[in-house]
Amino acid sequence: MGEVELSCLAYAKMYLHASQFPRSSVNGLLLSSSPAGAAVCITDCVPLLHSHLSLAPITQLALTQVDVWCSQTQQRIVGYYQANACVSDSSPTPCALKIAEKIFEQCNNAVLLMIDGEKMFPGCRVPPIVMYERKDARWALKDKHTIMLRQWEETCSIVNQLFSSGDQTLLVDFDSHLDDITKDWTNQKLNAKIMELISPANGNV
Amino acid sequence: MSSISELYDVSWEEMRDKLRKWREENFRNSEQIVDVGEELINEHASKLGDDIWIIYEQVMIAALDCSRDDLAWSCLQELKRQFPDSHRVKRLAGMRLEALERYEDANKLYDSILQDDPTNTAARKRKISILRAQGKSSEAIRELNEYLEQFVGDQEAWHELSELYINEHDYAKAAFCLEELMMTNPHNHLYCEQYAEVKYTQGGLENLELARKYFAQALKLNNRNMRALFGLYMSASHIAASPKVSAKVKKDNVKYAAWATSQISRAYQMAGRGKKENKCSVKAVEEMLESMQITMS
Repeated sequence: MGEVELSCLAYAKMYLHASQFPRSSVNGLLLSSSPAGAAVCITDCVPLLHSHLSLAPITQLALTQVDVWCSQTQQRIVGYYQANACVSDSSPTPCALKIAEKIFEQCNNAVLLMIDGEKMFPGCRVPPIVMYERKDARWALKDKHTIMLRQWEETCSIVNQLFSSGDQTLLVDFDSHLDDITKDWTNQKLNAKIMELISPANGNV
Repeated sequence: MSSISELYDVSWEEMRDKLRKWREENFRNSEQIVDVGEELINEHASKLGDDIWIIYEQVMIAALDCSRDDLAWSCLQELKRQFPDSHRVKRLAGMRLEALERYEDANKLYDSILQDDPTNTAARKRKISILRAQGKSSEAIRELNEYLEQFVGDQEAWHELSELYINEHDYAKAAFCLEELMMTNPHNHLYCEQYAEVKYTQGGLENLELARKYFAQALKLNNRNMRALFGLYMSASHIAASPKVSAKVKKDNVKYAAWATSQISRAYQMAGRGKKENKCSVKAVEEMLESMQITMS
């Protein structure tokens, strides 16, 4: 199938989300601000939950709100990510498959991204990511060569900078927003900080 | 690198009191506990009196959480020296082995505690945690059920079991566990709200009505529980939109949903006041509520 490009912004926030809740499973949605085409360009992500991923009400609520926000900001939901609590198991859970199916109904080159906890350590050369795409009515592993992470080294260094400046605590997921609705799940502040770190390296990520 | 007391301008007494508060409320803010506790132990051990032992225990567990085996080891040594035959300290040694993923060794330790004292609940629960860590959910569930037959009042265990069932998508059994918890903790809004979420997930008209009732109950106990408020809104909306309900039921649920909508709008307006960065999330909620109103009528 088509190529998938994962932006630094999306990757950084996913990584931060998984790091913020090391003992729970976390999930979120992958967004694109590019027009629909053969290739999928994941330009941003929205971290959703860190508890009770398989319960319906909050998931439905979050999907609806993100949908609305996307139409307000010319973005589309193009995928779903999840990091399992059990580090040694990065296979998609039934709940992950269910949500990915729902996204696939609206976006025919949707991706399902599992974060591989075992590869999340400083100095790891390989992106801790396993991607799936819809093929022959099931979710199949995507060929690694069709997945692009531009400026991988810069991305890693940006993530490290976020940790050392303490900015990783700025990340708000939907769950945290419900605990305190003054917190912004669209993460405008954190996005701005990350974009600042990106721009000297390359204006087009 | 400056110390905690310098950074935050706190005295050692305040640090000690903070640790106690975190202990009593069972917070798992391990990085903070390590930062504060390590400094307290290194700089002020002599002033802590007998408190030091419980602080060693607290800091040790937090250190394991943060992969600080050096700190965990030194705390454990102090405790072993002071309480050489203690089962409580043995359990801590077992937890350290778990953190190092030496599960067989940990299990041997816990088994030896249980041989000495078959009623030691802490050791039994650690063995179940090991099953969970190894991803052996069905075995963990089975062991936890056996445990609860004997220790039927253990709240923590009931809650752990409900979480396991939720992960396994066994919502009926999860609901049963939450019912136990609600019975013994009738004022806890979180259990009501979780129960409602499970019922909503199970689906079907009867479950949706139950869900709505328990979301409402959670709100009665805590009117700032946003999950309960949204849950009430969503369950009432779904019931009102169902073709199977009577006109009266539909009317009632439209009313409940409308009430929830106004409460949600109010809460978001208050939250959005003056904070520029919230405008996006506030706008998303407003539009969502509007669009759902249209589909309902």
